[in-house]
Amino acid sequence: MAAKSTAIIQMHHVDKHYGELHVLQDINLDVQKGEVVVLIGPSGSGKSTLCRTINRLETIDSGEILFEGKPLPQEGKELAAYRAEIGMVFQSFNLFAHKTILDNVTLGPREVLGTPKEEAEKEAMDLLARVGVAEQAHKVPAQLSGGQQQRVAIARSLAMHPKAMLFDEPTSALDPEMINEVLEVMVGLAKEGMTMVVVTHEMNFARRVSNRVVFMADGQIMEEGAPDEFFDHPKTERAKDFLDSIRGH
Amino acid sequence: MGVGEVVAEFGGVYVSSLLSTWLMTIVCFAGGLALGVLVTIMRVSPIKPLRVVGDFYVQVFRNIPTISLLVIFVYALPYLGLLLDYRTCLIVCIILVVASFASENFMSGINAIGVGQIEAARSVGLSFSQIVRLIVIPQALRTTVLPMTNLLIATLLTTAIGSQVPLTPPELTGMVNYVNARSVAGISAFVVSAICYAGTALLLGFLGNKLDKKVRIVR
Repeated sequence: MAAKSTAIIQMHHVDKHYGELHVLQDINLDVQKGEVVVLIGPSGSGKSTLCRTINRLETIDSGEILFEGKPLPQEGKELAAYRAEIGMVFQSFNLFAHKTILDNVTLGPREVLGTPKEEAEKEAMDLLARVGVAEQAHKVPAQLSGGQQQRVAIARSLAMHPKAMLFDEPTSALDPEMINEVLEVMVGLAKEGMTMVVVTHEMNFARRVSNRVVFMADGQIMEEGAPDEFFDHPKTERAKDFLDSIRGH
Repeated sequence: MGVGEVVAEFGGVYVSSLLSTWLMTIVCFAGGLALGVLVTIMRVSPIKPLRVVGDFYVQVFRNIPTISLLVIFVYALPYLGLLLDYRTCLIVCIILVVASFASENFMSGINAIGVGQIEAARSVGLSFSQIVRLIVIPQALRTTVLPMTNLLIATLLTTAIGSQVPLTPPELTGMVNYVNARSVAGISAFVVSAICYAGTALLLGFLGNKLDKKVRIVR
């Protein structure tokens, strides 16, 4: 192995199958601390699966994933403790339907970190204000718009003081007019130096915010590079075709 | 003997048999819910043998008539050296059956939660037992108020098998035998019991609806 790496997330020769389907093929990817990496590619390319292996919502068949130089815990308390350090934002928000917005945000800190109620609520209100939904604190998720729910989901992750955050198509389930309010929050996080792995179809976001774009197809990383370089001069045919198809005619 | 005469002569005993039925219903339903939660936790646990045992439990007790179970308890268990009094046999049998149906209700409530919320809870770092306690059980309880109300009414009606064993005081159905052994009330004794059952069931149905409106989770 190479000498000491500063990468916070390291994936080495990761393989995964769903039955016959080889969804991740020899994936090698390092993410540096503070880096924003965007995963793009056609649907079914394995980008969501890759993202989900990083906090072990998906297991892998072979290879290894390291976080801060240590292999991911397999299960049990160690795995739960590890997941608490990684924020995760889902396409479908996944807020806890029976809890208020405020309780959604304070649940993790109170139950996992043992933060006292008052302190957890104060911090939650600050986070909700930061993502612009403080007035909704005492409503339940179903009373909020999709964009608001996704911003709450981001606040819920931030309340755990994560060392890195994973975004699995965070704007794909949103109406067009709500996409920007979520992206703005993510831009703010990136500027503050949050380490982020983002699966997205938002090419403007990728170009403007990311440090690196990783293009996947058929379970493989086809190419990666700085956003301007990738978008203006894609190296592989697959990437060219993909960019043409999403740019329209 | 008309209904009026039955009430006039046996009213006091009817009240105590109604209370007996209510008390048994409460005990059996509460016990059934508690055991049902336990069985359901086994059925959704990550440990396969527990899941198998939980599923097996439901298949056994959902598919045996409660009256058959009662016969086994009353006549067979003493041969195994276990002698329980009649009321205990009755309550245990009903709890065993109610728990299997309660577990089926809980399972449908759990299936309605959706894997996304569970994944979100795991991502926050919650353990399996925390997820069960904080996310799954509260939502399963709140989405199953209506089917659980039906189960409560079914529990009420099932306590009628208490008429097959000697109980003091008798429950509502046993009360019919009690009255007819002491007078010639005939069908009137049944009518009074039936009115008590129906009145209780209507009240439970009404309360169940109100509770459901109050706690239902908007999705």
